[in-house]
Amino acid sequence: MIDLFTATGLVLICTLFLCLYRVIVGPGACNRLIAANTIGTKIILLLVLVGYIYGRNLFLDIALAYAMINFLATLAIAKYLEKGCIC
Amino acid sequence: MKQDVVIRTVCRLVVPFIQLFALYVIIHGASSAGGGFQGGVIFASAFILVGIAFGIADARKRISEKMTVLFSACGLGIYAGIGILCIIFGGNFLGYSFLPLPFPVPEIRGLAAEAVEIGIGITVMAVMTSIFYDMAVDEEAA
Repeated sequence: MIDLFTATGLVLICTLFLCLYRVIVGPGACNRLIAANTIGTKIILLLVLVGYIYGRNLFLDIALAYAMINFLATLAIAKYLEKGCIC
Repeated sequence: MKQDVVIRTVCRLVVPFIQLFALYVIIHGASSAGGGFQGGVIFASAFILVGIAFGIADARKRISEKMTVLFSACGLGIYAGIGILCIIFGGNFLGYSFLPLPFPVPEIRGLAAEAVEIGIGITVMAVMTSIFYDMAVDEEAA
């Protein structure tokens, strides 16, 4: 039997591949950027779910670090697209 | 991006939390996920965030290149100093149990390991920030 949290994780993985498709074939850089950002958010959710399913608090730390670095990466790519450098 | 209020405000709010989390990762590294290297990288990401949102000049005002060199040498000095202190008191390099502190041996091991992690964290933070400065300057010149 699959419980609720495992099912949620599986659905998240399926939608993650939809975003990956948009990253690969998406027209223009902005679509790719937003799709990659969405993948990052889904990965955070997936990390928290895995931490809950296996009962390990350690995954929450990793999810926090991932959220902070993900924000930084999105900001850096957006600035590079706008100005051509990250200075 | 100088006039973007949203990004500047969000960065000003987020940077202290990133630094606090980096210190947590460094200090708590011995007993859970993380350690000196990971905490140092997260701490450096706070400076990189300042450099991206407010401009490289503002980040340089907060931690200059001279300070990054000084910090990396300081962290390496902490690491090597504790290791060589252990040799002086008759153990191996980083053999913590020979340090003459007034605690039982497991606590000496824990304290010395934390001090070494702090040294590694300072070094990694300084080196990552200086790598970011170098790359940004090259982009600017090109």
